[in-house]
Formats: sequence, structure tokens, C-alpha cells
Amino acid sequence: MITTEEIKALARLAKLQFDDARCEEFSKEFEEIVAFAGEINSSVVGGTSEIREIGGREIALSDLRADEVEPSLSAEKITSNVEAENGCFTVRRVVK
Amino acid sequence: MKYELVSGFETHVELATATKIFCGCTTAFGGSPNTHCCPVCTGQPGALPVLNRRVVEFGIRAGLALNCKINTVTHLDRKNYCYPDLPKAYQISQYDKPLCEHGWVELESGKRIGITRIHIEEDAGKLVHERGVTYIDYNRGGVPLIEIVSEPDISSPEEAREYVEKLQLIMRYIGVSDCKMQEGSMRCDVNISLRVHGSDELGTRTEIKNMNSLSFIERAMEYEYSRQAEILDAGKKVEQCTMRFDEHTGETYVMRTKEDAQDYRYFPEPDILTVVIPESKVKAISDSLPELPLAKLRRYITELGVNEHNARLMYRYAKVCRFFEEAIAEGASAKHCSNLITGAVFSALATEEDKEQFSVSLSSKEFAKLVRLIDDGKINFTLAQMTLSRMLADGGNVDDYLTAADLAGVDEGELERLCAEAVANNPRAVADFKAGKEKAISALYGYIKRATQGKADIKKADEIIKKLIN
Ligand SMILES: [Zn+2]
Repeated sequence: MITTEEIKALARLAKLQFDDARCEEFSKEFEEIVAFAGEINSSVVGGTSEIREIGGREIALSDLRADEVEPSLSAEKITSNVEAENGCFTVRRVVK
Repeated sequence: MKYELVSGFETHVELATATKIFCGCTTAFGGSPNTHCCPVCTGQPGALPVLNRRVVEFGIRAGLALNCKINTVTHLDRKNYCYPDLPKAYQISQYDKPLCEHGWVELESGKRIGITRIHIEEDAGKLVHERGVTYIDYNRGGVPLIEIVSEPDISSPEEAREYVEKLQLIMRYIGVSDCKMQEGSMRCDVNISLRVHGSDELGTRTEIKNMNSLSFIERAMEYEYSRQAEILDAGKKVEQCTMRFDEHTGETYVMRTKEDAQDYRYFPEPDILTVVIPESKVKAISDSLPELPLAKLRRYITELGVNEHNARLMYRYAKVCRFFEEAIAEGASAKHCSNLITGAVFSALATEEDKEQFSVSLSSKEFAKLVRLIDDGKINFTLAQMTLSRMLADGGNVDDYLTAADLAGVDEGELERLCAEAVANNPRAVADFKAGKEKAISALYGYIKRATQGKADIKKADEIIKKLIN
């Protein structure tokens, strides 16, 4: 059973704001979500290392990308869908 | 001192690859904001990372140079944290299968600082805070890093400095990073705890983040030592926390306490396949490693007979070492080569950067030719030094500067005549010398040097003068 404390910690990490009532409610929903993930896990057998190996998910060093420069995009293009100023992404100040 | 300092380092080193770790954007330093960026390194939805082979190769190179075991099956993991310097809200790093483990760095005392692990990861972007706004530049985001994690084997600020300097030199020697602390291509997180001398029990540690200067590291460690000692002396407990060092006040201050310690929720990176490295590749990289700094320093001193002072001045710069070794291979003596390099050549290369770059208009071959003239007694050191300075300033070959008359030196009869003259004209210096003031004789050397424009062999002159005086 997931505690409301754990929900609060996760909410903080995920930058979500839950009031106490919502926390209570969400802990039940969360149980269901985790149970579903557990179901998937059990059908795969084992933990994460097995998941990693499904279908031989490996690559030889020699097949990795060569270290060759490719063109970047312009600052205008990169920031075209966000709040930006002078080529910089901008957000509300994050330090005091 | 009642307490022993126990310190471990986490050192971030930016790798000198041409492109970022997961995309083809350039890693060039600077540039207008967000001009070295693409959908991958700005975390746009749907963009997929493609691992740069050279990052893995450089990581292996660094690991081997630090005596590590290489994990030939290695994978990447997501480290989740939410801060605007990371556009994806996670950093791709390595968690349980780092590229390298179990190495060490040897200090000059012979003490080994253990290396727990080295992993590869991506750098974050740069934030600038002005008024109510944070401005974000992702040019540095995705630049490849290795993080070198040491064991808590460092027991003083001096050892810390040596450890960082050794790392810096090794990384430069093997060509994986320029390790410029002022440009941020090398930065350290410093863990510190105290324990009563002789005790096995580790104290609670604090971590000082993001140090990018050797002197700041030393000052921060000293400050933190006294701060913790004061707490322990008062019978209180040190609180585990993350700190920053304020360069202006010279003090450390708390950034976050244990309560809000990060929970990174690592999990395997699903967008990147597990990398398999053939043993033969590890062997090939190992075979391609150059002689490492400490081995070179020791060889210069013990095998080549270079004096320790000069050896230390030279071994810090890989290109200087190459020039020196080439000149020796041309048959020039190590002694005179090293004296001239640390003398006239270094005078012409004023800054650290100049010595590092070592772009001089002088071939090692021509340099060796000049040194051989001293070795063979054709010219003296002073003349060689003067000639070298002119060659460094104006270019050209030895033959352009030294005439047949220069190479003839000063003939023996003439030298004897000049020595007698020097003795006759410097009665006070001679008297002082006879009274036991060894140094007084240098006035006579000066006389000979002036009279021959530096061409005379002072060693020979010394013999003649002493014969005359006694
Ligand atoms: Zn990119």
C-alpha cells in the first residue's frame, strides 16, 4: 500500500500540487497503476536487466555514430515554439 | 590536529570530441546562445539520441590511464531531475554499469588515490539569472563528460591539489580533454568529513559543489575542515548537506540539506542500446596510450639526468616534452636541451597557454643542432642562449646567426691573456675570493664575458683564473 507521504514525495519530484483530499484519492489510483505495471513485469519475467535484453538490444562499439559535425539549427528555429529572448529560452527566474 | 580530514572527489571532465554525446552538434566553446543546438540536445519530443563512438573510446582511454577495469558491456541510464538546465528533465548518465571501475591515481609520494568509477554522461545547459528571468543557453547541453569518482582517500588540501593536477595532466597527455578549469571543462565536487585520528569510523560528510579553481578547492577544504571541527568540538553533529563555496567571503554555505536530498529515480535509458566493446578494442586503446606524466617525470630525472627543477617545469606540457625528446633523439644532450628550453624558450612563451600550445618558429632539429654546438664545446651556453632568443624572435636557422668566427670560440692564448687582465683589473674581487668569498669571482667571469661578447668558455676561464690566483 502506497502511503500519502510517498505520494507527496512523488508529487514534489514531478512538480505536481495535490491537496490532501486529492492525495487520498490519488493513492488509490496509483495502486492500480502500479498493479498494472506489475502485470506487465510478470509477463516479461524478471526485472529490468531482462527487459534490456529483449530482442538482443545490444550494439557493437564500432556501430556507434562517428564523431562528425553536422549542421545545427538556428537559434530562431530552436526557440520558435517557446518563450525566448535574444536567442535564449526564458523561464521565470529559478533562483532567489 | 585532533581530526583527520577524509575527502573524496567527483570530477567532471569535458571530452574533446568534435560533436556532442548524442547528436552531431559541435562542442566548440562559446558561440551565440542556442546556435550549437538541434532537436536532440534541446529535448524536443520525438528526437532520439545516437551515442557518439568517440565518447566511449575516450572514456575507455581515460579509464585505462587511471588503471581502471573496463566494463565491456555497458549501458546508459536516466537520471531524473527537473531543472531548466536540462531540457528533457533528465540527464542521460550511467548508474549501475559504469564504463570503468576500480582504478587509482598515483601521487608522487607513492600514495594511491582510489578511483571508484568513471562514467560517461551529458553536460547541462547554461543558465543566466537576471531580474525576474532565467535565460537558458543549451550550447553546452549534451557536450560529453566523464565523471571520475574517487575513493575518500584524500587527507589534506595539498593532496587534493596534487590529485586534481595529476588528473588534469593525465587527461591532457592522453588527449581526451584540455581540462581548463576556468572555462569549466574540468570541475570538482568535493566530499569532506572528519574523523578522530586513528579511528575507523567515518564522520558525516558534506559536499561542496562545482569547484573550478585549485586555490578555491584548497580554501574551501580548509574552511570546511575548521567548520566541522568546531561542530565536533562542541559535541554536536555535522549535518549532511550540499554546499557551495563563496569565492568572495572564502566560506562555504548550505545549498540543500539531507531532507531535500535529490531522488533521481534512475532507470535504464530505453532509447540507447547496451554497448558491447570487444576486448581487442580495449587492448588496442591500451597499446596506444602514451607515457604518462609521473613516469615521464621520473624518467627525465633518473634516466636522462635532467635536474628535478627543469624536469618539473617541462613535464607539464605535452608538446614541450615532444620537442625535448625529439631534440635528444637528434643527439643533443638532455642537460643543455632542458636548460635552454626552460630558459630562453620559456621566456619567449609567457603564459601557460603559450607553453601548452607551444607554437614556436623553431624546429627540434635546428634546436638540436644548436645544442650540439654547446655539447661539442664549439660555443658556450651564454652564446647559445642569445642565439636561441634571436631565432625564436626572428626565425631562421642556426647558420644564419652564428659565423665561423663564433664557432671558432676564443683561442686558448687569448683566453689566458684575458684572464690575466681580469685578475689585474679586479684586485678587490680577487682579495675577497682569497678571503673565502666564493661568489666574488663572478666579477671576473663578467669581465671575460664582456670582453669576448659571451664567446669564451667560462669553465675553462675559471680553471685559468684559479690557477693564476693561487
Ligand atoms: Zn544537437
